[in-house]
Amino acid sequence: MAGVLKTSPAGVAEARNRRRSGQGRRTLVRLVLVRLAASAGVLWGAVTVTFVLLQVMPGSTADVLLARSSVSPEVRAGIVAQYGLDDPLPVQYLTYLGRIARGEFGESYVLRRPVWDEIAAQLPGTLLLVATTLLATVVASVVLGVVSANRRAWVRSLFASAESLVVALPPFWLGLLLLTVFSCTLHWFPAIGSSSPSGLVLPTAALAAGPAAVVAGVLREGLLRAMDEPFVVTARARGIGEAALRLRHVLRHALLPVTTLLGWIAGSLIGGAVIIEIVFSRQGIGRLALSAVANKDMPMVIAVVLVTAAAFVLVTIAVDILTWVIDPRTRDAGR
Amino acid sequence: MLVLALAAGCSSGADGPAPAAGGAAGGGEAGAASPRAGGTLRLAVEKEPECLDPHQSPTESARLLTRPLVDSLVYQDPRGGLHPWLAREWTVSGDRLTYTFRLREGVTFTDGRKFDAAAVVANLDHVVDPKTKSLLAASLIAAYESAKAVDPLTVEVKLKRPDSGFLSALAQPNLGIESPATLKGPASKLCAVVVGTGPFRSDGGFTPQKGIDYVRNPAYAWAPEGAARGGPGLLDRIEVTVVPDNSARLGALTSGQVDAVTGLAPAGIGTLKSTPGFALHTTRFPGANYSYWPNTAKGPLSDVNVRKALRAGIDWRRIVKNVYFGVYDGADGPLSASTPGYDPSVAAAYGHDPAEANRLLDQAGWTQRDAQGYRTKDGRRLTLRHMWSDPSVGNLAVQIQAAARQIGVELVEENLDGGTFVDRLLAGDYELIDTSFSSPGPDVLRVLFGADNIPTPERGISNNMARYDNPEVESAFRRALGARDQAEQFGVYAEVQRRITEDAAVLPIYSPLSTLAAREGVRDVRFNVDGTPDLSGIWLAS
Repeated sequence: MAGVLKTSPAGVAEARNRRRSGQGRRTLVRLVLVRLAASAGVLWGAVTVTFVLLQVMPGSTADVLLARSSVSPEVRAGIVAQYGLDDPLPVQYLTYLGRIARGEFGESYVLRRPVWDEIAAQLPGTLLLVATTLLATVVASVVLGVVSANRRAWVRSLFASAESLVVALPPFWLGLLLLTVFSCTLHWFPAIGSSSPSGLVLPTAALAAGPAAVVAGVLREGLLRAMDEPFVVTARARGIGEAALRLRHVLRHALLPVTTLLGWIAGSLIGGAVIIEIVFSRQGIGRLALSAVANKDMPMVIAVVLVTAAAFVLVTIAVDILTWVIDPRTRDAGR
Repeated sequence: MLVLALAAGCSSGADGPAPAAGGAAGGGEAGAASPRAGGTLRLAVEKEPECLDPHQSPTESARLLTRPLVDSLVYQDPRGGLHPWLAREWTVSGDRLTYTFRLREGVTFTDGRKFDAAAVVANLDHVVDPKTKSLLAASLIAAYESAKAVDPLTVEVKLKRPDSGFLSALAQPNLGIESPATLKGPASKLCAVVVGTGPFRSDGGFTPQKGIDYVRNPAYAWAPEGAARGGPGLLDRIEVTVVPDNSARLGALTSGQVDAVTGLAPAGIGTLKSTPGFALHTTRFPGANYSYWPNTAKGPLSDVNVRKALRAGIDWRRIVKNVYFGVYDGADGPLSASTPGYDPSVAAAYGHDPAEANRLLDQAGWTQRDAQGYRTKDGRRLTLRHMWSDPSVGNLAVQIQAAARQIGVELVEENLDGGTFVDRLLAGDYELIDTSFSSPGPDVLRVLFGADNIPTPERGISNNMARYDNPEVESAFRRALGARDQAEQFGVYAEVQRRITEDAAVLPIYSPLSTLAAREGVRDVRFNVDGTPDLSGIWLAS
């Protein structure tokens, strides 16, 4: 399910015979449909793998669920019966699949509330953070990449080493550092809570720093490679300004790998921002997933995995579309 | 709101004269200034309940967050004394199987409904209903058989067997009285919104990973007898935010984003003590100390001499002092000294005596030493596996490991995932486990040392991790349950504490602290009998 389209030789040959725009658009529609169909398979796989992994985890679900409690045998038996924990595994698995197919995600074993309500309550916080992180990553990396690309070699390596340094910083450590400096010492931003726009600044910075550094590096390499292409000479010959050349022509070429990279980053941030969510006490899917896995809370884990997988699928499709828009070459292929 | 809070800055706590200095460290009974009404207490808490409903949830955080919302029939003061609350008075039958409660008149729930005998019956029945899936409350009143409303203000409760802990159980928030209308609704709703007769109400309820906001219940006129103050609460609002990260919580306090925080780690407590403008309110959690629980059923620790040697041979106090910056006190017995019914006479047995430890180990037959200097018997090394699943105890465990080595005992530290931990616990496949167990009375001894609480695969998780089974203690437990009054009950439990100390059935390490760190303007911070801070009694001087 990874991002970029592969060009098959047969497809290329066939595509050459087509008129570009009209045919290409139809290809795009078909591409999206194929991807959506495939995504159902991806989601089924994700549910299955999750189910198996949770069963393989040591400890019986009932024991883990009741670990910090004191219950009578009747209550224990009631819980086991209600959740079907004593059913044979294939039965449990098929029951889950059936429920999910009907859109019933059930009630969290631990939170004792409908799984969907909880996800609906926590998802906006996650999506907001992912969105601001992506935005910050794009802006920072484009600025960094464009600014650093035409410098002397030693300046570029200075940028590169700074980026490596930032990539090496663990986000939680960066988060704590930002908290100490900008929240407790300077009082510029709040240390806790997610309700205000200013509360987004530090978590976004902590999360975006690493991806921005990676993407900036990739973008710079891409820019440098594109600057060597013959079309640059042509464009210059037309008398285009240096800035316009970079932004309008060269950047477009360098954006392709970056788009793929961003798709992957977006996918991994949903559900992967747990530590930042904890450090900044933000609501989010990551924290939900973490406690659900620790408690073997099957309905919750499966629902979170489904949401994350669905987001990954959507992002992948979006990346494919973007690629189609950015790079006309891909419009001929992609089936 | 957060932006406004920011303007207050790190030094916000320092303004104002603060004559009582917050009564730092221990009790905080200094109420010199006259209480002032109004204001919003912003509190950051460490943990959140999975489900708010105290009937369902077993967690300390559920008790903390529902205490402002629900009242109980009986009030238990921090020393363990029982007083009238929603029940004006009560009588107990001669066979101790029937409790008759006369209820207070004119009490209303915050949803406008009247509190009466039917409400009490509905609550008790709700708690024990298997459909409620109560994870603690039902087991607190395991002796409960039935309740009936004799008249609108009289409830008669029948027990299956005498239970001298019944009234204390009723006093806990877990048996708090909720509006019967809400009990009939979906259980999932109760996990968010709890409606009681308390000094505060919360219509929005609890949002996971976020928190809960309360507003004052102006009609409140039924504070318990023996409480610090009657009448409605003084705060207009309480806003509780869940902030799991320690440094973020400390930062939120020192930068003025919140007025108070709970659950500071010892390092944070050290930092706060050296920051002017803040006060630290603490009490020892009642119940079992943080302890190593030896497997008394099998392995080297089934020998009482080896257990005693471990107790005497390791300088637990010094280790606790080093690891926790002098914040925690060493333990003086199976129960923390703040537990009602604690017997101080056992404290003497918990001293450091390496010579005695070596003598006991020799006596137990662990006389040889191997190449690494560990003791051996019949060619086998004295190795004890300590298993844990909470990484925060790592530092302490390493220090204890080093100290055990001094007397020739090898501790093997096993940091396990939750599931493996549970499997091994049920199988009894360990020598040492560590945990604390907070509880507002000596009844916890039954939970921790009763033979029917030994965890087994059939029974599931239970709390007798020492796997202690002593017929003498079992009969003492039965006597304690049948005790006529609290004094008799405490007497029997004192006997049990001495017996457990003699048997070295637990290796207590330190008494965990319940902490509320606050800016100095936060006044009258007291603690409930279960060690949680009493939020509804607080007022703001500034």
